[in-house]
Amino acid sequence: MKKWGVALMLAASLVMMAGVGLADTKRVRIGISKIVAHPALDALEKGVQDGVRESWPEAVFDLQNANGDLSTAASIAQKFKAQQVDLAVGIATPTAQALVNLLKDQPVIYCAVTDPVDAGLVDSYDKGGANVTGYSDMTPVAEQIDFLLRIKPIKRLGHIYASGESNAVRLAQIARKVCEERGIEFVESTVASSAEVKQAIQTIIRRVDGVYLSNDNTVFAALPAVSEVCMRHKIPLVTADPSSARDIPVLAAWGFDYYRMGVATGRLAAEVLSGKPTAEIPTRYMTEAADMDLLVNLDVAGQLGLTIPPDLLEKANTRIENGALTEAR
Amino acid sequence: MIEGIFVEGLIYGIMALGVFFTFRILNFPDLTVDGSFPLGAAVMAACITSGAGIFWGLTLALVSGWLAGAVTAEIHNRLRVPHLLAGILTMTMLYSINIRIMGNRANLPLVRQETLLTQVTQAFPGLDPAWVLLGFFIVLVLGIKVLLDLFFLTDMGLVFGALGNNEQMVLAAGVNPATYKVIGVGISNALVAFSGALAAQYQGFSDVNLGLGMVVFGLAAVMIGEFLIPSNRIWVLTLRVVLGAILYKAILYFGRYYGYAIHMTPSDLKLISGLLIIFALVLTRRGKKGRGGLFS
Repeated sequence: MKKWGVALMLAASLVMMAGVGLADTKRVRIGISKIVAHPALDALEKGVQDGVRESWPEAVFDLQNANGDLSTAASIAQKFKAQQVDLAVGIATPTAQALVNLLKDQPVIYCAVTDPVDAGLVDSYDKGGANVTGYSDMTPVAEQIDFLLRIKPIKRLGHIYASGESNAVRLAQIARKVCEERGIEFVESTVASSAEVKQAIQTIIRRVDGVYLSNDNTVFAALPAVSEVCMRHKIPLVTADPSSARDIPVLAAWGFDYYRMGVATGRLAAEVLSGKPTAEIPTRYMTEAADMDLLVNLDVAGQLGLTIPPDLLEKANTRIENGALTEAR
Repeated sequence: MIEGIFVEGLIYGIMALGVFFTFRILNFPDLTVDGSFPLGAAVMAACITSGAGIFWGLTLALVSGWLAGAVTAEIHNRLRVPHLLAGILTMTMLYSINIRIMGNRANLPLVRQETLLTQVTQAFPGLDPAWVLLGFFIVLVLGIKVLLDLFFLTDMGLVFGALGNNEQMVLAAGVNPATYKVIGVGISNALVAFSGALAAQYQGFSDVNLGLGMVVFGLAAVMIGEFLIPSNRIWVLTLRVVLGAILYKAILYFGRYYGYAIHMTPSDLKLISGLLIIFALVLTRRGKKGRGGLFS
């Protein structure tokens, strides 16, 4: 009796699974695997869909989210493989790695991956893989630090990053190198979770003249804490994320908009769907001036007693002055 | 696709066997798992990328997993710390250690490396790699299961069973429970780390956050297994854990596949997992009172 029960159960699941294979449509199907629900990544996901729909209005999207469980990344890739999606998009490093590892015949587009070569997705920056290419979210670290230096010549730069986020670790390496080249002392502190961020900034705030934050989901979740401590100690804070700087007092934020990167990724996916081989498309970056957003908060500058050089202020497309947000362009 | 679910279920089934050992046999709820799973993955990835090879990767994953479990048991034994807290302490410390093992990185890719899985598929050219892997993992997991069954029939294995039931009786028989806990929790975490090492190769990367949700997965596999087949015989106990792991993977998969039909989003899956475990528990409990289970 017992054995029959198990056999029945397994047979039933086999039949269910076989049924799945029959569900087939003629429209272009795109699977998007996202590591976790997060404002920046959600905007990115929406951008990808809008970008693809510009040339493939009929496209059907399968939006999957690993809920931060990395073991689920492989399950999602397996699902896309079984469904034979026409193209898969991996948002963030682990989901992209799982897709590249399991999908050999379908094109895979990655985005929100800082260093695709370091992440093992492609072999070189000069060309794409056999079925892999995508957008790097490498943020211009050197330019961002130089920007802070223009406003206030500092000797010691503070930086907080999550030791568990591969992108953040890579960006911190770059920031360290930039500081060495500029002859600035680099004071770093790492966190394992968002709850540790406040303590991390408090431990370094007395040893720094300025704070810089690059793209780091864990740290940005606790940006209000960083901003509060910096304001209390009158230390300028520059970040790589203009969208969070709209609500939270940050001296300046210079980076790209994740929605726009999503649209660019979607357009890239559309090119690949139209038949362009991925090997001919090297990793792309958001380097165009039009891709970048600069937000300057003049209220914060006033409280810190700093003046923004007019040429930098000229470049800012978003300003916050007397509590009001004005957008140029 | 079926083969994909089975392969994943089998890989995570090894981890579930480890959870079953501590949770059901030793009666030692162990949260080290969330740290020892990525530990195995980290050791494996470090061995492959540094060129030490697959054999050493798997061996060191087993050894390091055993050490992690032994540390938890020692914290519990010597400092009289409750099981759960001892496990959480080890798991927390393993976060830093795992990053160190991967060379101060949070993520180590294995995408274009030669792994156990690529070697196995290359050994059978001409056959569909997915089915080759399925065959390989069935043999591997059955082998581990049989070894565990045989182990539980030895004198030592019988003591483990008694230890979880009645520690006083074991003490009265002149056995030191502390030593056995070190060995037992060690074996459990060795299995978990081994599973982590295989999972890293299967999904193509090792990541410090790989352990999230592992204890829950292991518990779910154990509970669903108990719901499937009620029994006291050891070979059935271990078999149903593996079956539970496969079925749980399949259920999650279908949640992902058909969930949109009832407006379920992927972020609802965690709620579904929890409810599923409660559901299995309720049914198993009801079965114990009444006629004896779903398939008896």
